[in-house]
Amino acid sequence: MSENVNKANRTFTDRARDAVQSFGLPRMIIAVFLLVLFIAAPFVGADFWTQVTNLFNRFSWNAVLVLAMVPMVHSGCGLNFGLPLGIISGLLGATLSIEWGFTGLASFVMAVLIATPFALLFGVGYGWLLNKIKGGEMMIATYVGFSSVSFMCMMWLLLPYHKPDMVWGLAGKGLRTTISLEGYYAGVLSRFLQIQIGKLVIPTGALLVFALLAFLMWAFLHTKTGTAMTAVGSNPTFARAAGINIDRTRMLSVVMSTWLAAVGILMYEQGFGFIQLYMAPFNMALPAVSAILIGGASVNKASIANVIIGTILFQGIVTMTPTVMNSMIHMDISEVIRIIVSNGMILYALTRRTEATR
Amino acid sequence: MSQNNKKETSAVRKVLGFLGANSVPVMFILICAVCIPISGFSPAYLLNEIVTRMGRNVFLILSLLIPIMAGMGVNFGMTLGAMAGEIALIFVTDWQIWGIPGVVLAMIISIPLSIALGLLCGKILNMAKGREMVTSYIISYFINGVYQLVVLYMMGSIIPIKHSTIRLPRGYGIRNTVSLLSMRQSIDNLLAIRVAGVKIPVLTFLIIALMCLVIVWFRRTKLGQDMRAVGQDMEVARDAGINVERTRIISIVISTVLAGFGMIIYLQNMGNMPTYSAHSQIGMFCIAALLVGGASVDRASIGNVFLGVILFHLMFIVAPSAGGKITGDTMIGEYFRVFVSYGVITVALVMYETKKRRAKASLGEQLRAAQQEGE
Amino acid sequence: MRMRKLLFRLGTVAVLIAIAACMMVIGRGHTVYFDNKKMEYEGQEIDTYRRINVFVNGEQVAKLSAKDRGMATFTGQKFSFEIEATKEKGDEPVLCKYNITVPYGQDGTVLNLPGMLAELPEEAYTSEFVPVATESTEEDEEIVTEDFGIGEEAGDF
Repeated sequence: MSENVNKANRTFTDRARDAVQSFGLPRMIIAVFLLVLFIAAPFVGADFWTQVTNLFNRFSWNAVLVLAMVPMVHSGCGLNFGLPLGIISGLLGATLSIEWGFTGLASFVMAVLIATPFALLFGVGYGWLLNKIKGGEMMIATYVGFSSVSFMCMMWLLLPYHKPDMVWGLAGKGLRTTISLEGYYAGVLSRFLQIQIGKLVIPTGALLVFALLAFLMWAFLHTKTGTAMTAVGSNPTFARAAGINIDRTRMLSVVMSTWLAAVGILMYEQGFGFIQLYMAPFNMALPAVSAILIGGASVNKASIANVIIGTILFQGIVTMTPTVMNSMIHMDISEVIRIIVSNGMILYALTRRTEATR
Repeated sequence: MSQNNKKETSAVRKVLGFLGANSVPVMFILICAVCIPISGFSPAYLLNEIVTRMGRNVFLILSLLIPIMAGMGVNFGMTLGAMAGEIALIFVTDWQIWGIPGVVLAMIISIPLSIALGLLCGKILNMAKGREMVTSYIISYFINGVYQLVVLYMMGSIIPIKHSTIRLPRGYGIRNTVSLLSMRQSIDNLLAIRVAGVKIPVLTFLIIALMCLVIVWFRRTKLGQDMRAVGQDMEVARDAGINVERTRIISIVISTVLAGFGMIIYLQNMGNMPTYSAHSQIGMFCIAALLVGGASVDRASIGNVFLGVILFHLMFIVAPSAGGKITGDTMIGEYFRVFVSYGVITVALVMYETKKRRAKASLGEQLRAAQQEGE
Repeated sequence: MRMRKLLFRLGTVAVLIAIAACMMVIGRGHTVYFDNKKMEYEGQEIDTYRRINVFVNGEQVAKLSAKDRGMATFTGQKFSFEIEATKEKGDEPVLCKYNITVPYGQDGTVLNLPGMLAELPEEAYTSEFVPVATESTEEDEEIVTEDFGIGEEAGDF
């Protein structure tokens, strides 16, 4: 009997230790930190339900961008620091859809549709490049992202856009740095089936779209192609022996990631209410990268659960620290905390020994 | 006849090979050749600007050479040294030490900070072998957060800052700009001479020349040889009894310290310091300039540094004006130079990685051939 | 061998600290303000001069009429300057040479020149310069940097 209890005890502590180990220490610290923030929030005068609503909103804006990390991590291309490339196809879709006169929900659907060919095109080129430089993906991805953003900075000025809502009023050409989506697709998904209980507002539509995409991703990873992708990432030699075309699989993952980034930025815009052009996409890869890492992913492993947990934790910190910290110590150090936490998380992941260091 | 033909083809091949190996500088020479006449700047103006910018930037770029020698790629972590230099300058400004003594004092103060940051960076990079560049790149962001924490929140509240001229009105934190008027161009102006209207900062160039000599000398020392061995093959170096980890850390520490000095030289020339943005782009500029000079991720010489500074900054000066003349919008030129800087780094990185893969593949082929011969 | 290395390192550190200390002394910047103003000392009223010219190393740094203030900067603690003072119009100018020592911690020192010329004790004519709280400089001046001039902050998102 006592032995039994002992055993149960041990398994419990073992389990706890296992859980901590698999969860990872930095993740644990961040989760506890967020928990403390939530507990502290009511004491410093921040309304709990408003905070939760904020969190829901920010989750719905960012989750798809984080989801875009998954395919490339699976195929062994590492963290997609080249996310801005996909974001740019999304921005092209968004601006063209508005230029061509679509409004409301139609403008969102059309933006996705128009963004798709761009995403495919850019994704194929990007995938081709990454296949040529296997092993150095992350650094080059970063710079592909940077180059494409700075290239598009010129294009936003030069391309013949004319819609008065989008171009500089005085010159009549050249897109503005921020474009309001009022009347177009601002909140079209968030307002769909929106649930309101007191101060808690849940953007159901946007969450449903994310759930659909996440489900599709999950289902894809369980198809034959999906498992092949995982095999390429975790054990390339085995994959080659099994007759999987590595280059094509990697290419597919890159295209998927780029397309998801395009959809992700459109989701972000519909929540945020503005299109941000020029240098805005520049550093958008880093929050997504650190979010999925905080969620428990590593350089070569990521699941849908990682995406969800990571986005909640990361966005939780983003929304909670300013309000709570400000009223607690009267210093707005939330920004600094965010920089340190997110980059620290990426560093932690990069320095972990991973199986597939080619 | 046929021999003649052969000679010609080999000459053509040589030229093509040269162009291929130096495609980035050649491309830049072409860009500059097109942009300079369009921009309409006078040669005297351009010469003056280039000389100023050489004095300002070369030392910073020299700090990149040693980690390349040790096979750690271009050190994006040089920003850490730049931050150390900035913190030192903030103190020196607050203590009101002026002129060259101020610059020298700032350099001395930056040394312990740089060494500490360099040790940290080197340790982390040793944990991330094979992806040093992306890791050092993230380290620079991470330490930038820490820098902001120190400079924006701790200075004036925990770390004493006396003068309200550099403190934010709220009582703690440093202002967005710190004026370095009291030491502005103090190194450049000492011994400066004017040749045909071009001001030459002789002392700055002497310091740079001395640094070049030190680097040349360093390559021949035991430590320098060890670094080259580590850069070529870590395993072989380890078998030869070299402490690989230690050598790599030392190379990063040296780079960080030099970057700190370089940043101080850079800022004394500028005459004021944008506290929160000065370091954020400096790494990218220096790396782009070095790569424009024909360096690659695994091989860089002092010549690359000088050629790179001249070409990169020529492009930098003429691009906005040339872009404005061509498209009627100077912003296009500004974005163009941003694009070119990033594009150059991308191209150089891609070339390096493909070369590495090809070398690996040919090595495999050689092994196979050797095996077949053995049979 | 190891001992020698350690000694060598300590020596380097000591030399660096010595240089740093030296720099802190010789590089300490001070500003001197020259006042040509009326002052009172132990009931004795000292009037301004019509014109006072101040020279540092033979170079004129200030040309003061009555009630004017001029300034000069120097590094280190010792400062010497010459003044050429004219009491009334048509008077022969008085030439004086002064050496002053400024305390290390004092950024700005105000010297009342008429007081100095009247050979009052040092504490009578020197005072510390206290800058007026300048709230107006709050807006940042145009920053001239070599960067792209477009908002791109490292790691800021």
